[in-house]
Amino acid sequence: MDKNTATEKMKQLEWYITKHCLWQYNSRGWDREIQNERILKKTKQILCGENARDDDSYADRYYWSEAITLVEAFKKYFPWVEEMTKEEIAAVMHLLKEKMDYTMIKGSLNLELTKEKY
Amino acid sequence: MPYHQFKCSECIPERLKHAVDKGAGEELTDALPLGYLNTIPGTISERGCAYCGAKHVIGTPMKDAIHLSHGPVGCTYDTWQTKRYISDTGCFQLKYTFASDMKEAHVVFGAEKMLKKNIVEAFKAFPNIKRMTIYQTCASALIGDDINAIAEEVMSELPDVKIFVCNSPGFAGPSQSGGHHKINLAWLTQMVGTVEPKIYSKYVINYVGEYNIQGDQEIMKDYFHRMGIQILSSFTGNGRFDDLCGMHRAQLNVLECARSAEYICDELRARYGIPRMDIDGFGFEALSDSLLKIGYFFGIEDRARAIIAEETARWKPELDWYAARLKGIKVCLWPGGSKLWHWAHSIHKEMGVEVVSVYTKFGHQGDMEKGISRCESGALAIDDPNELEALEAMYSLKPDIIFTGKRPGEVAKKIRIPYLNAHAYHNGPYKGYEGWVRFARDIYNAVYSPIHKLSFIDISKDEIPADKGFATQQTYSDAGLPDAVKNDENLRKCTSKYDPIPDLREKTYSFPDPDTEKWRVIPNEELSRKNSGTE
Ligand code: SF4
Repeated sequence: MDKNTATEKMKQLEWYITKHCLWQYNSRGWDREIQNERILKKTKQILCGENARDDDSYADRYYWSEAITLVEAFKKYFPWVEEMTKEEIAAVMHLLKEKMDYTMIKGSLNLELTKEKY
Repeated sequence: MPYHQFKCSECIPERLKHAVDKGAGEELTDALPLGYLNTIPGTISERGCAYCGAKHVIGTPMKDAIHLSHGPVGCTYDTWQTKRYISDTGCFQLKYTFASDMKEAHVVFGAEKMLKKNIVEAFKAFPNIKRMTIYQTCASALIGDDINAIAEEVMSELPDVKIFVCNSPGFAGPSQSGGHHKINLAWLTQMVGTVEPKIYSKYVINYVGEYNIQGDQEIMKDYFHRMGIQILSSFTGNGRFDDLCGMHRAQLNVLECARSAEYICDELRARYGIPRMDIDGFGFEALSDSLLKIGYFFGIEDRARAIIAEETARWKPELDWYAARLKGIKVCLWPGGSKLWHWAHSIHKEMGVEVVSVYTKFGHQGDMEKGISRCESGALAIDDPNELEALEAMYSLKPDIIFTGKRPGEVAKKIRIPYLNAHAYHNGPYKGYEGWVRFARDIYNAVYSPIHKLSFIDISKDEIPADKGFATQQTYSDAGLPDAVKNDENLRKCTSKYDPIPDLREKTYSFPDPDTEKWRVIPNEELSRKNSGTE
């Protein structure tokens, strides 16, 4: 899959998250980093058929339940997800993570993100 | 996404960065309105104060406590009964409001003695109630009354009572949002961990940022209970004081209104390791996704799916009846802080309405990020608009309806735009599948109201049409509808009862035992409904 195709697919996944999810909006930048990292990593792992559970802590269960719900929705909205190879999924998810990090953290104009405390 | 210049605010240049037009292809990183800032001198903000945010929004929905404001009677009166946060134990919290009634003499000589007398008097007047919350106001904060010390004194003299003190005077933040923050952290620090709750299910949540407006909490509680999930505490709609002291024992915080209650979830996560899961209780798809992910968390996703299937089959034909008639209706989505993002996408997708503007009164930039993301391009996003800006927006955008609070709502009516109460609702609950249909019905009734149509006739000069007879909403809504839709037997109007909540209160539910995992019925009394002392 070339870069343009991967970017195009990434944008569709990003659109879904933008319209349906709330996990990416935690109020501090460092918190958003953790959310993006954990949930998108698990999403990729589930899509690739890999183990996405680190342990049975409540925290891990939480990130996993966001990810598995997202995977279900991705499959429903974008049937092409199930036709991609593991490498292609990894490439698209990598772009998605970069884009989410930029929009929600690095490029965000939200002045509250840099506050240390909640 | 360029900033939007209101003509009426050209004389207040600071306002420019509080409004943006969402352009096609533009991103959040291009422009974002400023938010959660002090009111600019010269612009008349319509926001509530930090005391109001603490007391009215968060503290008082708690159903089994005396809520007393230490200050002039006006503070408490103005924060009384404007939101219908009902409870299943007689609505004590709505029927009564308490103030220490500070006067000028107290400002000069102090009001502590009087406060103590009033606390004791209130407990005597309601001998079944043993819990109290006290709210500082501007006046009592400025004279430096030590409310905590008085509360301690009373608690040592009346050992069976418990008092929570919230020091969030009106001036303690740019808006009511400052008060949300203060009471969240005060409750966590003073109260959480002081009660060990009884755990009767294997699955335990706190339901947070939910205020039971016209029964929202109870309609969601029904779904959670059908899944076998114990709601340890409800922060704070229909919530009990003592349950909220035991929040630290939940496995998951399910958060609805992040604007008012994310702070306590974030801190419960930091201090007790309880994850925060943000959900949407509004909209068929968003609610289904929310139930499903809660199901996944506990490994009971099949139970969630069963509820989703049953409720969707029951209510979707009714939602679709309205959706067919609401398509293209232009809406200004102008709530307080969180419904702009809870509703923006779902009303567009599931009812077909066009959101032409979103605004938030007291939201932060994070709320705007969510709201702007979830609405379509072309929408005007405004932070904390003043009345003139709202009028200018209505004249230029020409919406068919506004979803907002009653103050701006009454202004909208004056220029003949119907409004729905986004805060206290018209005929809620609006949460849940049934609630979403009720919301669609309210929108439909408002937009096509024959009375509203009549209001455009000026009887002093307009010709009164003598050839037109009696009209109903449906006369107007169906005028341009294709016959296939009009006669579609799969669609039907809302069949929800006038008040669907009492039936829910009579239902019984089973839960899995935390140790044996055996499912058994838990009596209603234990589900924290029929607790004593609040009738
Ligand atoms: S601003 Fe101060 S005086 Fe006014 S209602 Fe709020 S607490 Fe009372």
